[in-house]
Amino acid sequence: MDFPDSGNDMKLAMEKVEAQTRLATAPTPDRLNENWRFGRPHKHAAALVELLADTAGTPSCGTVTIEDASGCTDKIDKEDADSELLMSTIGSDRILGLHLQRFGKGAALFIEGQLTEPITITYETDSLFTPTTLIIAAPGARARIIERHITRGEGCMVCARIVQAAEGAELSIELEETGSGTSRAMNIINISAVQAKVRHLSRHSNHAWAREETIAEILHSEGEADIRLYSANRLSGDQVLDQHTRQIHTAGRSASDLLYKNVVEDNATAIFAGNIYVEAGAHDTDAYQSNRNMLLSEKATIHSLPGLEILADRVRCSHGSASAPMDEEQLFYLLSRGIPLHEALQLVAEGFLTDAVDRFHSTADND
Amino acid sequence: MSLIIRDLHARVKDGADILNGINLEIPKGEVHAIMGPNGSGKSTLSKVLCGHPAYEITAGSVEMDGQNLLAMSVDERSRAGLFLAFQYPVEVPGVTNANFLRAALEARLPKGEEINVVDFYKQLRGRMKSLGMDTKFTSRAVNEGFSGGEKKRNDVLQMMMLDPTYAILDETDSGLDVDALRIVSDGVNAMRAPFRSFMVITHYKRLLDYIRPDVVHVLYKGRLVRTGGFELVDYIEEHGFDFVRNEEE
Ligand SMILES: Nc1ncnc2c1ncn2[C@@H]1O[C@H](COP(=O)(O)OP(=O)(O)O)[C@@H](O)[C@H]1O
Ligand SMILES: [Mg+2]
Repeated sequence: MDFPDSGNDMKLAMEKVEAQTRLATAPTPDRLNENWRFGRPHKHAAALVELLADTAGTPSCGTVTIEDASGCTDKIDKEDADSELLMSTIGSDRILGLHLQRFGKGAALFIEGQLTEPITITYETDSLFTPTTLIIAAPGARARIIERHITRGEGCMVCARIVQAAEGAELSIELEETGSGTSRAMNIINISAVQAKVRHLSRHSNHAWAREETIAEILHSEGEADIRLYSANRLSGDQVLDQHTRQIHTAGRSASDLLYKNVVEDNATAIFAGNIYVEAGAHDTDAYQSNRNMLLSEKATIHSLPGLEILADRVRCSHGSASAPMDEEQLFYLLSRGIPLHEALQLVAEGFLTDAVDRFHSTADND
Repeated sequence: MSLIIRDLHARVKDGADILNGINLEIPKGEVHAIMGPNGSGKSTLSKVLCGHPAYEITAGSVEMDGQNLLAMSVDERSRAGLFLAFQYPVEVPGVTNANFLRAALEARLPKGEEINVVDFYKQLRGRMKSLGMDTKFTSRAVNEGFSGGEKKRNDVLQMMMLDPTYAILDETDSGLDVDALRIVSDGVNAMRAPFRSFMVITHYKRLLDYIRPDVVHVLYKGRLVRTGGFELVDYIEEHGFDFVRNEEE
């Protein structure tokens, strides 16, 4: 992937994309389609496609708020579109195509140097909002970015995020996805690193349905790249969270790691489909993937499908998935110290998730 | 006032009988040692007293300061003054030591009241220092990645913070080196008081040399088969538990 030479080029690249070809060929979300197979997705996803198609060409409805002391963030608010921004997805090409057809709003970050203060971007909507975030880190850049999505009422947040990190860059990115109970969300995240370190944490709460597709790619030059993906979510009621990930290693001597954790209550459903792909020639790769779920009800549903495709040699890879009720001994330990049952349950469940959040922060701090 | 155990029988749920009629009274102010070979039921007795869900009481009763202990929930027993320092303290990922202790202390206050955070940390750090613990442990997840000895100290720290009236120490000495053993014993001795009692479970004399018990019991196959003074400790140190095995079989 080529990095723009200047902020201006990059901003051009941010504008609306010609996605007609993709739209014409992309499948509609359907259970028969591999990437949409699990957890009754079509009801929400098909409705989303319909909604996007019906409103194509109308402005995106939502607000963008940026807090950035460094001044390296621009608000995107453009109606003219002429450049292409190619992204791949894991199943939602059609949604992405429709997303990109709508008038662009969002934020474009071009980060140079080491920022001391975090950049905070907030997207808010109570209808249909399709913001795009572009984060480009120049060689050696360092930054912490917090992106908040707030969706009210029956609103729907459909966000695409592209992250490109050049040699020696270090990015720590947090996504806080907050819904209303009846809202929906769709996130398409593309991260690429060339000898750079990127940590990404996503936290979802309270959407009726949310899907997240994350592609993390280690590109070009051998060595030193390190991408870590974390997620920690709590689902209740009839909520559905559908997360798909792909860790792609095209250059060797690099590492990627993934830890996704969910606490699932009531009738809620958590879906995880992950894949590690190590290209032929990407030798000495370290790639790990772990999906862990705590089930707090017998009616809760988990679909967990970790996967590996290794075409290189000297590769250390592992993938795993574990879903279990709350550990009785942990609960008993808290009760035995006088903590009442309800609070003990909350502490252990939150602790299970905090564990992933802590790992995100400790890896971000240590390096 | 005392802890009175009468003819207590318990088994693993749908499994084997483990406690086969325990009779024991621990008056306030006394330290009772429980010794016995591996598998005799010492940990089971301590967990049954706390209400561990793996066990089922098949007969008997337990009275704590006149209250029916067995009718109380696990957390109620703790708030009523019972404490167990576990043989194998559990790791609780993501819950920091400080938050854990705060929740336990706040559960003892009237509803809606909160502890004074400044006093809490002051007390916590003071007690950690007295136990030779690094105060950084306040922000670490409960017991996670702690060494065996660190876990034991952490349970003793909890005991100090929660200030129980009946404290059970289950093999707290195992995993502690000589220096740590002295530090922990000093901490326990400092807590000895006329209003508090201890049940100290151990295999070894070395702990009881530091924490001198008033009464010593030997548990064997789920029954207390001997009760005596410190001479029993000396005898076991020299001869092991074969004498009970031989006499009981
Ligand atoms: N939860 C359990 N499930 C199955 N067996 C148990 C359980 N707890 C205790 N036991 C059995 O009960 C006996 C007594 O165990 P324990 O109380 O741990 O002995 P001690 O602490 O004296 O070494 C042992 O045979 C042990 O295997
Ligand atoms: Mg034991």
